[in-house]
Amino acid sequence: MTRIIPAVLMLLLYAALGHTTDNNTPDSDATDSKAIDSRVMDSHTTEILVTDHLGNTLPTAMVTASPLVAPKADLSDNGYPPHGVTNQAAVTVTRFTDAQGRVSLPSLQEQHIRVRAQGYRDATVTPAAGVSTLTVALDAMTPEQYIASFPSNVWLSQLTFGGDAELKKTFQLNCAFCHQQASPFMRNERTVEQWLAVFSRMNSYGARLPGDDHQQIAEHLQRELRELRENPQTVPEPKPWEAFLSEIDMTEWPIGDGFSQMHDFLLHPNGFIYVGDNLFDRLYEVDPATGQYTVYKVPHRPGDKIGGILGNRFTVFPKMDNAMGVHSFAVSPRDGNIFITPSMQQALLEFNPQTKAFTLHEMDAGYYPHTIRIDEQDRVWFTLALSSQVARFERDTAQFTLYDLPARSVKEWLILKSLPLLFSIDPENRPQPAPDREGTGLPMPYGIDVAPDGRIWVARLYANDLAVIDPQTDQVSMVDFPYAGPRRLRADAQGKLWVVAFQDSLLVKYDPDNGEFSEYPLPVLNEIPYALNVDRQRGVVWVNGNQSDTLLSFDIATEQWRVYPLPRQRFFTRDVEVDEEDGAVYTSNSHFPSWQTEGGQPTLLRITPLSP
Amino acid sequence: MSSRFIHSVSCNLLPGLVLSLVASAVHAAGWPVYGGDPGGRHYSTLADINRNNVDDLQVAWVFRSGDSARDAAAMDNTSTQSTPILLPEAAGSSLVYCTPFNRVIALDPGSGEQRWDFDPQINRGGDRPFRCRGVAYAQDAQSAAAEHCQHRIYLSTHDRHLWALDALDGRPCAGFGNSGSVALYGAAEFAPGDVSNSSPPVIANGVVISGSTVIDFTRAQTPRGTVQAFNAHSGKPIWEFDPLAGHAGSGSANVWAPLSVDAEQGLVFLPTSAPSPDYYGAGRVGDSRYANSVVALELATGKLRWHFQHVRHDLWDYDTPAQPILFDWQRDGVSVPALVQLTKQGLVFALNRLTGESLWEMTEQPVPPSQVPGETAALSQPKPIAPPPLLDSFLMPHDAWGLTPVDRADCRKQLESLHNLGLFTPISEAPTLMYPGSLGGPNWGGGALLAERGTLLINVNNIAFSGRLVPLAAEAFSGNGPPTAGKRFRVVMQGTPYAAEIGSLQSFLGLPCNPPPWGKLIAVDLYGGRIIWETALGSVHEMGPVPVPFHIEWGTPNLGGGIATAGGLFFIAATMDRQLRAFDVDSGATLWRYTLPVDATATPMTYRYQGRQYVVVNAGGHHMFGRGSGDYLYAFGLPP
Repeated sequence: MTRIIPAVLMLLLYAALGHTTDNNTPDSDATDSKAIDSRVMDSHTTEILVTDHLGNTLPTAMVTASPLVAPKADLSDNGYPPHGVTNQAAVTVTRFTDAQGRVSLPSLQEQHIRVRAQGYRDATVTPAAGVSTLTVALDAMTPEQYIASFPSNVWLSQLTFGGDAELKKTFQLNCAFCHQQASPFMRNERTVEQWLAVFSRMNSYGARLPGDDHQQIAEHLQRELRELRENPQTVPEPKPWEAFLSEIDMTEWPIGDGFSQMHDFLLHPNGFIYVGDNLFDRLYEVDPATGQYTVYKVPHRPGDKIGGILGNRFTVFPKMDNAMGVHSFAVSPRDGNIFITPSMQQALLEFNPQTKAFTLHEMDAGYYPHTIRIDEQDRVWFTLALSSQVARFERDTAQFTLYDLPARSVKEWLILKSLPLLFSIDPENRPQPAPDREGTGLPMPYGIDVAPDGRIWVARLYANDLAVIDPQTDQVSMVDFPYAGPRRLRADAQGKLWVVAFQDSLLVKYDPDNGEFSEYPLPVLNEIPYALNVDRQRGVVWVNGNQSDTLLSFDIATEQWRVYPLPRQRFFTRDVEVDEEDGAVYTSNSHFPSWQTEGGQPTLLRITPLSP
Repeated sequence: MSSRFIHSVSCNLLPGLVLSLVASAVHAAGWPVYGGDPGGRHYSTLADINRNNVDDLQVAWVFRSGDSARDAAAMDNTSTQSTPILLPEAAGSSLVYCTPFNRVIALDPGSGEQRWDFDPQINRGGDRPFRCRGVAYAQDAQSAAAEHCQHRIYLSTHDRHLWALDALDGRPCAGFGNSGSVALYGAAEFAPGDVSNSSPPVIANGVVISGSTVIDFTRAQTPRGTVQAFNAHSGKPIWEFDPLAGHAGSGSANVWAPLSVDAEQGLVFLPTSAPSPDYYGAGRVGDSRYANSVVALELATGKLRWHFQHVRHDLWDYDTPAQPILFDWQRDGVSVPALVQLTKQGLVFALNRLTGESLWEMTEQPVPPSQVPGETAALSQPKPIAPPPLLDSFLMPHDAWGLTPVDRADCRKQLESLHNLGLFTPISEAPTLMYPGSLGGPNWGGGALLAERGTLLINVNNIAFSGRLVPLAAEAFSGNGPPTAGKRFRVVMQGTPYAAEIGSLQSFLGLPCNPPPWGKLIAVDLYGGRIIWETALGSVHEMGPVPVPFHIEWGTPNLGGGIATAGGLFFIAATMDRQLRAFDVDSGATLWRYTLPVDATATPMTYRYQGRQYVVVNAGGHHMFGRGSGDYLYAFGLPP
């Protein structure tokens, strides 16, 4: 109830101001140009004052500058840059107003400014050349627009699935892999039959929503989303944007297009950021200093088909070119070479950032190379998500060692052992085990990290357990994880494990020394956290907030959270990387499909403190 | 009750009460305008024929226009779409309609005997099909009582003339334009058929307004979609509105579907079509405002009041196909002057008709980008949060339908080869699913509204299409004319680098690849934002190589609309099975049907005359269906 009060106050304020209604939401193309005052001076920065329509200053307004015209780019390879070609990204910068409603941005020549604030309609401005100060007035949203503008997570928080918490977790586990689950796109009224068709389509793409649950989930979604639509006042407000935001800078590098998926990436000691387009087998080498990027096409063997050995589940997609499936990245501490998991092959990729040469290390076992890390001995470790294994690659000998993780049942053991037989069958005719709630046959080792003591930790998403491998003894031990959906994990400087519990909406710490788990509720409602990373130097855990269009930071010492609103709606993120040097944090916009993101464009995003 | 309260109640209720009384009076008199009322509700308050006795309905009379005998050779290029109107007593109480060649015929409503006819002798040049959805009537306030043409029939013709005829004798009104007609935009500037007419004009407050049909597909720059308004007495032009004014590199955005008017508010509502060329937009960068829109203009001046664009940068030929339906939205004790617009893509938009604001939360749906060089598709398209789409626009390979495993496998294979990201997947050089295609979804038949409870009855097509753009430099390509049943439509889009090839998605057996029903009747609760029921519309028993003697209710493609009555009935033909049906508006159950000589791709109407209620439908077939033509007007009634 307390969460509703601010919404009510907002409505009263709105009524008092006597606004008229209209249908412009933050996502709408239709925006107002509201620059009401400007001064022209010679300056390298522009100061923007944001107010409401009465002239009251608005703190924590998000101000985004983007080029009026995107730099020309060579996209002559099926809409993408050819191999080895360098282009300039249309870099955008986002900052927030301070307590006085002011914000400074770099020179805004030939820039387009979008101003966004909670409860207000977006305004867009194209400043005249040489403008150094600018005032932008925002109109308040109508009550309906305000509630409709809330991000997915607060709407999702109100879905109870008839009080069946396990059913909701099943839904979240299987449907929030790729999408926000209560965005306007999902909240649209659908009949039960239309929902069932959605589930059938998604399972054909590879989702694992159990068939036995389809009917009841469809009925719950149809009924409960309608109830929310009819009673939107029950939807809690999202977290207010906070004053500290005026101390940060967000930079976005748009790369790829609406059909790309910028999955994981790597901050390389050479200063470049390497981003993988999972759907087009391309490696984007981004120079954050200049905004230039060079694309390298990942090679594949002659005869390899789209979808690799998994087969192409996306035959109806207009564009897809991924015989390898570039997934996760790690850098060698020895020579800086980059190791990449190609999830659609039995292989490991190596990229030399100096020669730009790829090397393919083929494996004869194991399925779905997933998340990858390299230890201090330059051993490459990665999870094999389908075959429930962990692989170790010795660079000196080019040998793979596979560690089997235990099956949870005889049935699961049989399924896992039959994978080579199943994969010997053509993908089009390959039988697939029917999905169930436990993910039988698919414990799915997912996240992996190397602890300071050299042990390798792995989270199994469907099995709700952790595995630890001692490289000294090759011993594999399992730890029950008392929460649902351990997805990606990281170790901090003290060797504590930080794990996101995907469908339980929790950050969890595991202390290997005493076996204790500690849970830390996220600062936003009903988030479904995909991944995290630890800034070991500063003791900060960064968590993906992919349902709330946020990135979340957790100070380990003070146990305080901060919420960073992201500059695009439906900003679905899957990876976080931290620059230990300056504390900047990076994430990529990898909604699937990317064209469902606001602006229809995947980006690499950096959040930087304005002053270290 | 305080006086202040009385004043408040009066202010709030009187306009509605007056409107209701006017509406009731209009309805009681019959069917005075094309859509039943100026707001196109397709509704009659008559209840003499009702659920309890509809089974007794029988043919009252049949009239044949004589077109079949007179113009047999041209009948294959016609579609019969006319909905008659019943003139008020002062205007002669005739039942008046038009034939595909724009002949206007007045009949005795009780016997079907002809009273007069008028043939404008249209220019039949060009190959555009002939059709005429109806005529309009108005009493001319500037004419003296009993003066010739005090009561007028207005007709927009295939060859772009607006005629005014005397309602009593059918002769042209000498004082209107040039001896009874005025030339409309395009009559002289373009080749015959490039611009023509199909829907009737509308008249209110002394202004008569005409839209147009414009040649589709074949050119990058087609004629403009100019809407024209004339003085209803003199025929002098008052204003023009070009929906694409200021947009170079394009044309059309014309208003071929029926218009609606709100005389009290002084507004006319235009359902605008797609801009040219239909499937390629690189030469028309941006949204192409006011194409694919509902546009509200001031009747008197043509000044824009508001617009709502339901498709931005159209690449699918998603014209606004249906007459905007005007009604008073009643929800939570609040009455809002409203408009509901059906679209080919199967969405139902409910808008405030004074402002254009959506009465349901409007969401911006992200949509896929285009793969065509130079093409920039819109990033998002509007979609109301409710009601749900009338069609599920995804069709996955595993959804493939077939009568046998063999043709199902054929369909599955075809679907696997099509690009398909749901609604608004841009067509490209690769074969792409178009579902719904340009047939809709809903089409010009519109919907019938039971306004008091907000139930909207809609007939929709449910046929998947596929299409591709063919680079002209890469393939020798020749067009084959307009689309017809079962054939792939091939057309060179002159002025673009492409030709388009479009066709229904069907197996080698000629059966659709999407599961039936292939035509549906859907009842939508506008206030609740939900579908109440849906049922198959049409039987396929005559669509195979050999007709079978029993109905197979899998639904058929359908063109034409239906009407609802206070008798709890919904009458509709429209299907490819020669049936006129009566459905129960509450349940969707078929209560009655009658086999006509040919398909009736026209919206029926109903009226009471000399104490007897009639239901009338024009049956003459449709050239696109290719199932035969005719020149019938059927009237049904209960036994005398």
